[in-house]
Amino acid sequence: MFLRNGKIGVFDLSTMQSSEEEYTDELAKDDISSVRLAERLSSEHGEDSLILGTGLLTASFVPAACAGIVWTKRGLAPILGFAGFELKLTGFDFVVVKGRSDKPGYLWIRDGVIEFVGSEKVPTLDSWKRTDRIRADQGDGKIQVLSVGAWGDAGKHAAQMVIDYWGGEDKVGLGSEFGVRNLSAIAFRGMGELELSEPEKHFEDSLLLLRDHIQRLGKNEGLASYWKGAGRDDFRKITHRSVACYGCPYPCRSYLKVFEDPKELRLVEKEPGYLHYDVPALEKCFGSGLSASDATIVMMKCARAGAEPVSVLDSIVASGSKVTLEAVDSALAKPSDIKNVRAMNFEASFDDIEQYKISLGLGVCPRYWSKVGFNLQGVAAYGQSALGSLPQL
Amino acid sequence: MSSSIILHIEDKANYFGLVLKTKSEGLIVARPEGLSSGQQSTGSGGPGAKPILLREPCDLCGGKPKCAKVCPTKCIVVEE
Repeated sequence: MFLRNGKIGVFDLSTMQSSEEEYTDELAKDDISSVRLAERLSSEHGEDSLILGTGLLTASFVPAACAGIVWTKRGLAPILGFAGFELKLTGFDFVVVKGRSDKPGYLWIRDGVIEFVGSEKVPTLDSWKRTDRIRADQGDGKIQVLSVGAWGDAGKHAAQMVIDYWGGEDKVGLGSEFGVRNLSAIAFRGMGELELSEPEKHFEDSLLLLRDHIQRLGKNEGLASYWKGAGRDDFRKITHRSVACYGCPYPCRSYLKVFEDPKELRLVEKEPGYLHYDVPALEKCFGSGLSASDATIVMMKCARAGAEPVSVLDSIVASGSKVTLEAVDSALAKPSDIKNVRAMNFEASFDDIEQYKISLGLGVCPRYWSKVGFNLQGVAAYGQSALGSLPQL
Repeated sequence: MSSSIILHIEDKANYFGLVLKTKSEGLIVARPEGLSSGQQSTGSGGPGAKPILLREPCDLCGGKPKCAKVCPTKCIVVEE
């Protein structure tokens, strides 16, 4: 089996037992979409399952093949950055999390092993400190952490799952799914390797595709290349640099520094700013009259608390208050039952939500591929040299 | 296909550099603070340093380094 591990990990939080299932070629051929496979795994393991998954092309050389997914019956969220890539190198193509833990802690996945690490301390921390703590405890700064804050612990609808430190993927309230399972975080590190059918051919084919894309796309402006709202002067002035996800030649992530000179490249401040790729949250901030600097601070506060920013700002406006940093502090101070407005971020990449699911299910970034033109057969064909044979599409 | 080059990152601060394992100088770390060489870890320490330490030193892919070919911004180039 090429470009895959052939394993599905299962962890039952109620019994603290882990097990494995085979991820066969037949299963992969039946359903090439990781989204549909996650739905199928849920029907087999229980509707309350939380499923982490990777696509057929995740971690390949196909441009922007960086996407994994988190699926629950509440909804679907991509996991981007390096998280989808690292997840695939843990030794599992999918991980099914069942049941509920009777003690707080986090799941730790690596080298084909899934374990629960009990911790009374981690739930007392905000999402950023959870990531710091887990990376320090496990001794590796490259561990990917899906974490939540107080809002997720409380199981609130407007809770947001944060990836390492940043928010923008979870617009469906998956953060609350952690809380109801007594999970403070899910951490993983990919130290494994994947075999490719024809590695040199796959590299060269993908390189040709990459060069074609770069030529067509032109100069990259970070998030402003995907959303004009990020082209405003105050946003540009505090932009430090753009950051790409695994395998992406045309990044949509702009890091803004608010507590340090944005031109500073050395490591001085530990928490100087925030990585922006949450378009609806920024739209809401700017629409509420916030500057790029204050919008960045709002996003930092929401990410730490594990609260979805559009929902939080909507609740402030609905209460008749003006959106200020103080009002945001006040709204975040105690998790409340505000509505999750289900803003669309990556979901809005295509006019058709099915296209979003298809691209994500294959393991490629919907935002990037909507920009360069997504065609399932065309994209999948580039995976043939990695996969060996092309599944029925 | 092996890799002798990795990113050195502190993602919360958006700080980054590159680590290259060479035959002649050991690990070469390129960071905003400048170039350093001969170190035995990437600075991030722990298991994070493991992949680069386990790799064979860079052989320039036999003359046509793939890292330079695939780098979309030409940050990685080959100097003769």
